[in-house]
Amino acid sequence: MLNGKSSMRIRIFAVMVVLCLACAVGTAGKKSLISPQTPKKQSAKKKRYACPMHPEVTSNRPGKCPKCGMTLRLVPDASEPGTGANLPPVTAADLPSMSSSKIPDVRVYDQNGRQLNFYSDLVKGRTVAINFIFTTCTGVCPPMTATFRRVQQNLPERTPPIQLISISVDPATDTPERMHEFASKFNAGPGWTFVTGDKNEIDLLLKALGAGVSNKNDHTPMILIGNEMADYWTRAYGLSAPTALIQVITAAADHK
Amino acid sequence: MKSLEKYVWPTALVFLMALGVASPAALAQTSLTPSEIRGKQIYVQGTSPSAKEILAYVGESSLEIPGASMACANCHGLDGLGKSEGGINPSDIRSEFLTKPYGLTHPDGRKHPPYTERGLELAITRGTDPAGNRLLNVMPRYAMSRDDLTDLIAYLGRLGKDADPGISESNIVIATAVPSSGPLAEMGQAIRAVTTAFFDNVNKQGGVFNRHVEVKFVETAETAAGTRANVERFLADANVFAICGAVIAGSEKELVSLMAQKEVPLIAPLTIFPQTGFPLNRQVFYLLSGMEGQARALIDFAAGKPELKTLALAIVYSPGEVNATVAEAVKEQCKKNRLSVPPTYSYKTGSFDAAEAVKQLKQTGRDGVFFLGNTGEALSFMREAEKLGWFPSIFLPSPGSAEVLSAPAGFSGKIFLSLPTSPADQTTEGIGEFRALAEKYKLPTKHVAAQLSAYSAAKILAEALKRAGKDLSREKLIQALEGFYEYQTGLTPAITYGPNRRIGAIGAYVITVDLKRQQFLPASGWINIK
Repeated sequence: MLNGKSSMRIRIFAVMVVLCLACAVGTAGKKSLISPQTPKKQSAKKKRYACPMHPEVTSNRPGKCPKCGMTLRLVPDASEPGTGANLPPVTAADLPSMSSSKIPDVRVYDQNGRQLNFYSDLVKGRTVAINFIFTTCTGVCPPMTATFRRVQQNLPERTPPIQLISISVDPATDTPERMHEFASKFNAGPGWTFVTGDKNEIDLLLKALGAGVSNKNDHTPMILIGNEMADYWTRAYGLSAPTALIQVITAAADHK
Repeated sequence: MKSLEKYVWPTALVFLMALGVASPAALAQTSLTPSEIRGKQIYVQGTSPSAKEILAYVGESSLEIPGASMACANCHGLDGLGKSEGGINPSDIRSEFLTKPYGLTHPDGRKHPPYTERGLELAITRGTDPAGNRLLNVMPRYAMSRDDLTDLIAYLGRLGKDADPGISESNIVIATAVPSSGPLAEMGQAIRAVTTAFFDNVNKQGGVFNRHVEVKFVETAETAAGTRANVERFLADANVFAICGAVIAGSEKELVSLMAQKEVPLIAPLTIFPQTGFPLNRQVFYLLSGMEGQARALIDFAAGKPELKTLALAIVYSPGEVNATVAEAVKEQCKKNRLSVPPTYSYKTGSFDAAEAVKQLKQTGRDGVFFLGNTGEALSFMREAEKLGWFPSIFLPSPGSAEVLSAPAGFSGKIFLSLPTSPADQTTEGIGEFRALAEKYKLPTKHVAAQLSAYSAAKILAEALKRAGKDLSREKLIQALEGFYEYQTGLTPAITYGPNRRIGAIGAYVITVDLKRQQFLPASGWINIK
């Protein structure tokens, strides 16, 4: 009896180990789907449907995405004549791309109340890192700003210096005085400009930079990093490690 | 008999048990223990009451920032429910939620058994839940002293259950500060009467969300420091939620800073010197523009009139803290209106040499004078000017006094005064409501202006209490007030507040003086300051 029980346990244990392994394999498989790869060739006859938001969700029948409920879209088949290149459903490349020419030269104010033209005074001819904040934000903005401060302290010196910019997503509340107070709370040094201004102009700017939101609490913890001269733009998570951000910023600055 | 007893006993027992059950709820209403009070400071401000260091370490890289920048309440809210921001949804951390006996499953699938005190310690200091899972990486790991951690955990047990002072399930306690002796005693009495009457009327209609509004009073003193001490003592003794329509004239600085320090909302105090400098005092909401705002309105008015905007202005004033601020405001407003910045001529109050002032200003070709002083001094200035046959335009941003009517006739139509409100603001409905209250409660017939101000203050507070909702807190009251947009009191210009705006009606009316008919005439409609 006893022996039987223990062998039972061993078997259950073995099953669990196998299951665990299977899980690990499962997740590994999923991971490979996320990484950008050319999708495997589909059988020419079969139609393939994919979610516009979740390219990894595919089906051979029309239907809804189990993740977001959007209607699945027919993926054009490469083997069919006239449909063009073998494109994945919707990739990051299809999201609005950033280019220097898209940045409007709107009138803004810095934390000292000085009037500036955003593009010509802050971006043109420089490498910039831009984050999006509002001064009454208590949750995600303080660590984001502290991260920026650390980046500023540890950035290697270069000429021209890297320009750090924090743009308010709540310009109606954020007066230059408020921005100044916020900046000094985080000991922001020179070369870091806090930008606010007329709501319409700032909204235009935020939209162009891909950071427009209807509710200030929905703003994404995103950092936009760019080299204006090389017209090289990239985005990073606002709470990434400062060392990682410095690498991305330096790479952008070195981009030719 | 015996059988009756049989029924009485169980009934009595049920009552006893009910009492036993009710007592923990009653306890919840009691005030916080000293440890919980210290813990609340750590939760809300991220600072230690014993001035020890509290540090927060955020993210993978353990970025070190001061605890004050990432206080618990910043993300989890004063109520512990969690405020969504930037795609991050902080957990509900009220103890009744965290200690559910069957544990918790979070929306992201994270599961863990109920929190214990040790569990909370680990969550705060190591960022792990009771099952050892890592918490979201935006939840910092805090380094704080053992005592601070104990206090914080003690407060977490009370989180969401400790109401602000002056609020209970059935009561809201508000207060007003009025003079009760000296020359202003009668005015104080009138303000007291109208405030009591207003809230008694509110209570007769069912109160605010079934809460009875109780009004308390505190005396102002002869000196500003005395008034501050009175109010401070009063706030320590009486549990007061907010102060409404208090007479703070003369002790603005002292009281307003006290309100900020004690975090007591102060609604529509009676003063002509609102303290609206930066940084903003979040607790204090004013009704009307003060001297500074009225001075700005006068400049905007002049800039809009072809015959006045070409005037060569000068500012005549006796330097003191107040007049100096107003003089600066006048200069700034001139710049905003693209007028040349007027030179200043200063004098000492009590020894104003009007003749000399007139001589100098006339010589330098000035033809407009912005006068910041008392009406008597302004009159002597005009009389001296008349002697030289010089009649410049005179701007007076002070509360109009009827003495101005004795100015030399040559100044008829050349004197401009500003008023922060006018009888034109009183709607039939608004004044009708006030009259009905006055009749019902036999309000004093004197000091009607002070009564109207106190009445408007009470009306704004009552409206804000309604908008703040049943789940009331001082923060919610402030947010409700910040949402006021063109609220009609029926007695004042429309009231608008905002995150950066603490004066309800920013602007003024300009009136001029017809010296032949001895009357004041309106010279403008409502002027919104640029």
